[in-house]
Amino acid sequence: MGIDRGGETGSDRLAASPEAESSGAAALGMSAGTALPMRPLRWLFRPDNARLLVLIALGVIFTFASPFFLTTNNLINVLMNAAVVGIVAAPATLLLVARQVDISIGSAVGFAATTLTVVAESRFGLGVAVLAAIGAAMGIAAINAVAITKLRVNSLIATLGTLAAFRGAAKLIGDGRSIRLDGFGFLGRSRFAIPGTDVRLPVAVLILLAVALLFSLLMRYTRYGLHMYAMGANPKAARLAGVSLERNVVIAFMLSGLSVALGSFILVSSIGATAPTTGMGLELLAITGVILGGASLSGGRGTIGGTLVAILILAVLDNGLTLMRVTSFWQEVVRGGLLVTAVAFDQLRLRRGKPEVRFEL
Amino acid sequence: MSASAVPQDPVTVAGTEAPLLVVDHLSKEFGAVKALQDVSFSVNAGEVVGLVGDNGAGKSTLVTIVAGVQHPTSGHVFLDGKPLDVATPAEARDAGIETVYQELALIEMFDMATNFFLGREILQKGIRQRLGVLNRRDMRRRAREKVSEIPAKFPNFDAAVETMSGGQRQIVALAKAAFWGGRLLLLDEPTAALGVQESAGVLDMINELAGEDRAMIVIAHNLQHVWSVCTRILVLRRGYLVADLDKAETTAEEVVAYITGAR
Repeated sequence: MGIDRGGETGSDRLAASPEAESSGAAALGMSAGTALPMRPLRWLFRPDNARLLVLIALGVIFTFASPFFLTTNNLINVLMNAAVVGIVAAPATLLLVARQVDISIGSAVGFAATTLTVVAESRFGLGVAVLAAIGAAMGIAAINAVAITKLRVNSLIATLGTLAAFRGAAKLIGDGRSIRLDGFGFLGRSRFAIPGTDVRLPVAVLILLAVALLFSLLMRYTRYGLHMYAMGANPKAARLAGVSLERNVVIAFMLSGLSVALGSFILVSSIGATAPTTGMGLELLAITGVILGGASLSGGRGTIGGTLVAILILAVLDNGLTLMRVTSFWQEVVRGGLLVTAVAFDQLRLRRGKPEVRFEL
Repeated sequence: MSASAVPQDPVTVAGTEAPLLVVDHLSKEFGAVKALQDVSFSVNAGEVVGLVGDNGAGKSTLVTIVAGVQHPTSGHVFLDGKPLDVATPAEARDAGIETVYQELALIEMFDMATNFFLGREILQKGIRQRLGVLNRRDMRRRAREKVSEIPAKFPNFDAAVETMSGGQRQIVALAKAAFWGGRLLLLDEPTAALGVQESAGVLDMINELAGEDRAMIVIAHNLQHVWSVCTRILVLRRGYLVADLDKAETTAEEVVAYITGAR
């Protein structure tokens, strides 16, 4: 449908640039709409374009501000820093679209990572440790899912509980120690040479791209994705239309668990150790990215593409400010300010009655 | 279960054919509140029945039970002589009961075509079907065909429903119900909160949908609206079915008297 999940409203369609229109139309396999002359200013202020513009502007600013910014190594660094956040932010986007939130991911990553290192240093070895860590991540996801769908606990509350509980549990099983893990460097430290260039991308970045692509396809093209948008946009109407809210939420939390396992592997692999603080604050970074990426707490809106660009903005910001020798304290202030500004900007647009674009990559 | 085995209440059965819908001694309690008490009636194919009553009389409860959303405390609902007792909304829908809920019928952020097919999507063939990949082109085409049949005009087929007026939304919801060929349409306050002109458009649409093999139950507060589309009027008061009136043999005053309890 021209509009996916109600994506572009009528007047947006008119405002859409011909390129965007035709590519979107072709991708969805439908007839192209009437191509009207685009209006540059409005096009720029469409949220997805505005986000890309901010990313590019930051890139330009930092390129002038620091000679080290625009180097292959540094850009790969930026991508590497975005990888773990991006991987857990993908299911977070899916969940928020359906008005669900999982803020346990930071502790879940910490618990799964600690499970990995604790079991790996025992007599069971690395293979069992990987399975145990996957089990741990899925177990937390299952607890969240049961609390939300069976016991009817609000997802924010339920995952706030598991956030606290599994941070403690991670410290318990690791005795509050830092634990080294050798021989697990593939996911976090190896690189993949792009043929024909001398760019060598970290495997973690490739995994991020694969995860983003999978979630994007899931949300754009499948019945499951459509139902998640419907649940967020209007849960009662979705239920009356026969959408199984419980089943869909359970699936989303399971996907979140898988991403947490993957994210914790990459984290442990790149650092080579776990600490009691491993993964701490990851949930806030991920959810900041999801919201900055255009998703709304009231559901029905948000895309993987938007989240990905937002997370790149955050990663570029951190990296650039560090290169400019701005302290990390200021970086946190800037990050928070950016989030509130972006959402306020969005609200302003909504209140002025501008039609919404909810769906793009 | 055969139709003859269905216990029928004397107030019902207007025609000679077996009725499409039979509601048999239906009661629904919410704790101490008795929302429906021993309600029995039947509806034949081709009938448009108005369901009227004051707030809290049990109209919506009755409709949600027939639609499979709620289950009765006691009593049964039969469609074509088959019991609907364990029905879910999906089962009721598969049996041919389409419901248009007041203000809940549509997802405002979605366009018409997506709304038409929500919960009953067309998928691609083969492996993509197993992956649940949507066939947007087919859904879009079929929805467009249906919309072109209805007299109401829509400025933009692709617009999100939230950009439409209340009347247009109701017409889209009715078109969706008709699209799925429901044999029994339940309309919960189709003209609530609509202006005069918009109500007229919706009522026209209801008259258009009334057909030989389709029955409708219309809940409405506005008696004038009930009068313009219905052939029969059921009055609920405090959970009891207090009157089952043929429109040709009654007056608005009589109906009001039943609603308020003056009779």
